Amino acid sequence: MGKIIEIENLVKRYKDLIALDHLNLSVEEGEIFGLLGPNGSGKTTAINCILALLYFDKGSVKVMGKEMQPDNYEIKKQIGVVLQNVAVFEELTVQENIDYFCGLYIQDKKLRKQYVEEAIVFSGLEDFRKFYPKKLSGGLLRRLNIACGIAHKPRLIIMDEPTVAVDPQSRNRILEGIQKLNQEGATIIYTSHYMEEVEQICSRIAILDKGHCVALGTKEELKSMIKTGEKIHIEISELQEIQMEEIRELHHVYQVDYREGMLEIRCSGGKHNLVHILDYLGRQEISFGRVYAELPTLNDVFLEITGKELRDSAEKTL
Amino acid sequence: MQVFKAFFKILYKNKMTLFLYIGIYLALTLLICKLMGTEGEMEFSNVSLDISVENRDQGELGEALVDYLGIHNHLKDVPEGREALQDAMYYEEIDYVLVIPEDFTRQFLKGDSEGLLEGTIVPGSSTSYLLENEVENFLKTAAMYLRSGVTMEQAMEWTRKDMEEKPEVRFLEQTAGQQLSDRYYFFQYIPYVYLILMILGVGAVVKSFKNKDLEARNKCSSMSFLKQNLQIFLGCMVYMLVMNMIFLLMAVLNTGEDMLSLQGFLSGMNAVVFSLCALSVAWFVAQFARNTAVLNMMSNIFGLGFSFLGGVFVSLEFMGEGARQAAKFTPSYWYVIANYDIQKVKDLAEAGTVYQSFRMVLVFAAAFFAAGLLVNRMQIRSR
Repeated sequence: MGKIIEIENLVKRYKDLIALDHLNLSVEEGEIFGLLGPNGSGKTTAINCILALLYFDKGSVKVMGKEMQPDNYEIKKQIGVVLQNVAVFEELTVQENIDYFCGLYIQDKKLRKQYVEEAIVFSGLEDFRKFYPKKLSGGLLRRLNIACGIAHKPRLIIMDEPTVAVDPQSRNRILEGIQKLNQEGATIIYTSHYMEEVEQICSRIAILDKGHCVALGTKEELKSMIKTGEKIHIEISELQEIQMEEIRELHHVYQVDYREGMLEIRCSGGKHNLVHILDYLGRQEISFGRVYAELPTLNDVFLEITGKELRDSAEKTL
Repeated sequence: MQVFKAFFKILYKNKMTLFLYIGIYLALTLLICKLMGTEGEMEFSNVSLDISVENRDQGELGEALVDYLGIHNHLKDVPEGREALQDAMYYEEIDYVLVIPEDFTRQFLKGDSEGLLEGTIVPGSSTSYLLENEVENFLKTAAMYLRSGVTMEQAMEWTRKDMEEKPEVRFLEQTAGQQLSDRYYFFQYIPYVYLILMILGVGAVVKSFKNKDLEARNKCSSMSFLKQNLQIFLGCMVYMLVMNMIFLLMAVLNTGEDMLSLQGFLSGMNAVVFSLCALSVAWFVAQFARNTAVLNMMSNIFGLGFSFLGGVFVSLEFMGEGARQAAKFTPSYWYVIANYDIQKVKDLAEAGTVYQSFRMVLVFAAAFFAAGLLVNRMQIRSR
């Protein structure tokens, strides 16, 4: 499969602010490509440049091998868009909205009717087809937003934070839907600042920060880029500084933090790290409570690469 | 034609407001036509009343007063008996009963004229006051001459002469002295309702399509932005034509064959030309309308503002010179002028001033459309 999107040295400025700073990205056909980054990292700007909604200052954007231009309607025909904000007509019903947006791409009435019906079923809006958007809950509204973007069966679907402010049930349904669309052959670009979502559905991920692509690869590749192989948490009521130093000296341990009765140990790979630590605690006759270990997350990747928490920085900018 | 269809679906969602305006407007206009269209105020004349005068005076003054009142009013016999008098007044056979007492002339010459005359009026009747005014004027003039030392006979003759002099009354309204048709009144108020209907109708649709996120989604589609805009434009034109058809049909139903005359044709043309201008105003206004409340406010500002300033509701003759000069900067002024001028047109060759007004309204239409485009362009660039 070839590249469906190629972005080279993309620069976009808003007066003095550089939103995209020589961004390089490529998306393979058939994958779910995640664009991860906090708010203000340049995800939406990158999407808008891909869609030719924004003029950029430098670089090039190729979609399906062709330079993307506002009047490149043949390419646009094969793209589906689900924007960050719900973009539907308040005055039209669920069915009318889907039909309207599908009709902008599909002229054949019979085919359109079939596509609209499929989109309604796909998004689980069968019982709400005559409803006006005002009457829908946040989750249903998001599903309508998605249905409007995918009804014409595009080859490339761009989804900009489609699960913002959605309840967990609707979120799961949306994520399952995205995976289904991908299985049916669509390439999906998915932007979010929810790392769990990106981790769950994306085959390749690019982490953006301040308009740069700071890391790119599969989630395994990204996790292998960082030191942290395992995080171990142990509840300990009291721990001396010297004991912390000794734990730090253990094999594969590279960072030890003790805060509010919780010891957090970061290990860089290796095996049986937990056994070695518990053995040390036993020898030192240090009593402990709850113990759990976890593998690194994309947040750890982001933390190590940028020096800040992904979720925190996202929430601060909100 | 997805955009075109969506245009009318959105419009349909606002149908209640639009139909309410159309219904109320037509009901009021038809009522005004019935009240004003058939009887125009053609000239000024004194009001003649049905009066009865019982002259008990034996002097010349009483007699002269009766003669004078008889010139402008209809003198009727005084009904006999209190009940007969009350009946006559109740059934409006008599507007006023005047009793001139005995010794009236003598008392008057002595200068003791206060409360001498007895008048009976129909309760609540304003016309009766006119007669009291006439009597008072006559007596004051007579007293003036008598005080100057002339004879009673001379004084009565001069007084009668003075009273017969009629003041020249000229109408302020340009429409006075001309019988105005139902059609004139039907079309007079069209600018207001057209402005409101266009702003609320077209404005609501354009507002929806101008929603930032919807606009972005539409721009991402494979239908060119130009094609989308052309379909919106087509929707606007169809809406404008439908509105014109409704109002012209109502005009035909209301005025009958008059609408099939040359003047009727020109009145219709005037409305169609103005609807084009109202559409441009709506397009311009829609650029600023972020929500329905703003749209309602704008429709009132432009609808009422242009109508009051342009002479739709208040006749231009009642406006000061400054206001009239300012009114020329509104399209409704030229519409009103055309509507008046059309009344005088007998054939197309005479319709020069009407065409001139049409041209002015079209200039306003072009100006508002261009201003709307400019604002739209600036808004797109600022994003």
